[in-house]
Amino acid sequence: MNNFSLSLTTSDDIVIMRPRGYVDSLGAERLDEASCEVLGQGRKKLVVNFSETQFINSVGVSILISVIQRSRESSGVLCFTNVKQIHQEVFELLGLTQHVKVFREEGEAIRYLAQGQQA
Amino acid sequence: MNTRPDMKLLLFNLSALVDLGQAVTSAKEYADRMKTALYVITGMFSIPRAALFVYDAERHDLACVTSKGVSALTDARLSHDASDLEGMPHNEPVTVRSIRDTGWFKQNAEILGRIDATVIVPLYAREEFIGTIVLGPRLSSSRFLRTERDVLQVASHQIATAISNARLFAQHAEQSAENRRLYENMRGIYHDTIRAFSTAIDAKDQYTKHHSFRVGNYAAAIAHELQWPNNEVEAIYVAGLLHDIGKLSLDVDLINKEDPLTPQEWEKIKRHAEVSYHIVAKIRLPWREVPTYIRHHHERPDGNGYPDALPGRDLSEGAKILALADSYDAMTTDRPYRVRLSPSQAIEEIRRCGGTQFDARISSVLFRLIERDQAEKTPPLPVVRHTASETAMPLAMDPPWRIDA
Repeated sequence: MNNFSLSLTTSDDIVIMRPRGYVDSLGAERLDEASCEVLGQGRKKLVVNFSETQFINSVGVSILISVIQRSRESSGVLCFTNVKQIHQEVFELLGLTQHVKVFREEGEAIRYLAQGQQA
Repeated sequence: MNTRPDMKLLLFNLSALVDLGQAVTSAKEYADRMKTALYVITGMFSIPRAALFVYDAERHDLACVTSKGVSALTDARLSHDASDLEGMPHNEPVTVRSIRDTGWFKQNAEILGRIDATVIVPLYAREEFIGTIVLGPRLSSSRFLRTERDVLQVASHQIATAISNARLFAQHAEQSAENRRLYENMRGIYHDTIRAFSTAIDAKDQYTKHHSFRVGNYAAAIAHELQWPNNEVEAIYVAGLLHDIGKLSLDVDLINKEDPLTPQEWEKIKRHAEVSYHIVAKIRLPWREVPTYIRHHHERPDGNGYPDALPGRDLSEGAKILALADSYDAMTTDRPYRVRLSPSQAIEEIRRCGGTQFDARISSVLFRLIERDQAEKTPPLPVVRHTASETAMPLAMDPPWRIDA
């Protein structure tokens, strides 16, 4: 059963991805595919808003690492927002947060990216 | 709530091992299971690039079954150097730094370089070399802690066992498919032989051409309607084909005699059920009950049948089905001494003899099949299409069985 869906919206040159449900199986690779498409189009400012993400396991972390890797290889800027405390701890332990900017709210990330990452 | 970071990491690793267990035992395709397993490992240790290679005994090399973060690795193969690879500890991570001087590393430097390999894990299950996991650098650039190495070892062993099991399952499935093919061939030969006998039996009686085929078909239709298992339906079909094989021993003129039979002639005719039984019992058919069904196809629930005059309670359901199928076909085909009955006349006759000559419950199944068959045909077909004609009978070994009234 696949309890995952993804919505994509844009705000100027910023792409916001909202993974919904469970990021715990190959079905969540849609997130990696979407980031690949977006970066391939030359859009380098990505926000992943986790407000509707209920669960992330090791498979989900692996997919997020792919997104980070793609962003790094394309010289993109990747922000995570609305990360639940339990997921935040895992991201920190595994070193993901060394490669992404983490914000409490989506708006903060958008402002950061819109201002040319000066904050 | 103030769990130490290393404890939190261990908890995450343990939950990842649970993820891995679910991944390798899921009902998904092998490729998906292997991909998920590699994703668990790469997620557990935050590794962007990795690949899983499985040993191909036929080509004596390692084929990439799944990879992550590296493009165009799909058809990649690593050479296999037993002296280097098989000397490494089983399912334990080995740093690439420590094997740079080996022949194996040098032979595979290009592919290992594309993955930016830093650690490899030689996979073993039941002391058999299974393949290798190749891991690139960690996102955090950190080394593996002792506990992480232990977790990686457990995870690797789990993946190795899953691959080994998948192989054994594939070999077993292949063997089963081969056995199935052999069985189907044998089954085909059996049926061809039985049909040949059946044709010989029916050829003896000019009035009842194809009688054995129809009886087999009717009996199978009734058994199928009674939800018998397929193998048992097949058994009753075969019993139908062979039930009159004992008539081969009778004189053609006696079988086709139009005048009333003398008591002596009638006794000779009656012997065919027992003769059929003795012939069929000598054949090692895969359906154990067939000879008994045949022996009792002229028995009656009231105990006035032959050859054993058994009461209904001592007769098998198969024998009752065969007796009814035989009588129904006899009623609805022309005989030397009378013209055929229509299906509805036959139903009336069977109903009249319910409980004495025929089993009432099985008769009701036959009636239902006849009615269903007639309802499907508009306009209705002639009562019997096969009597004394060359109309081909259904020769199928398999359902759908039907009452072709």
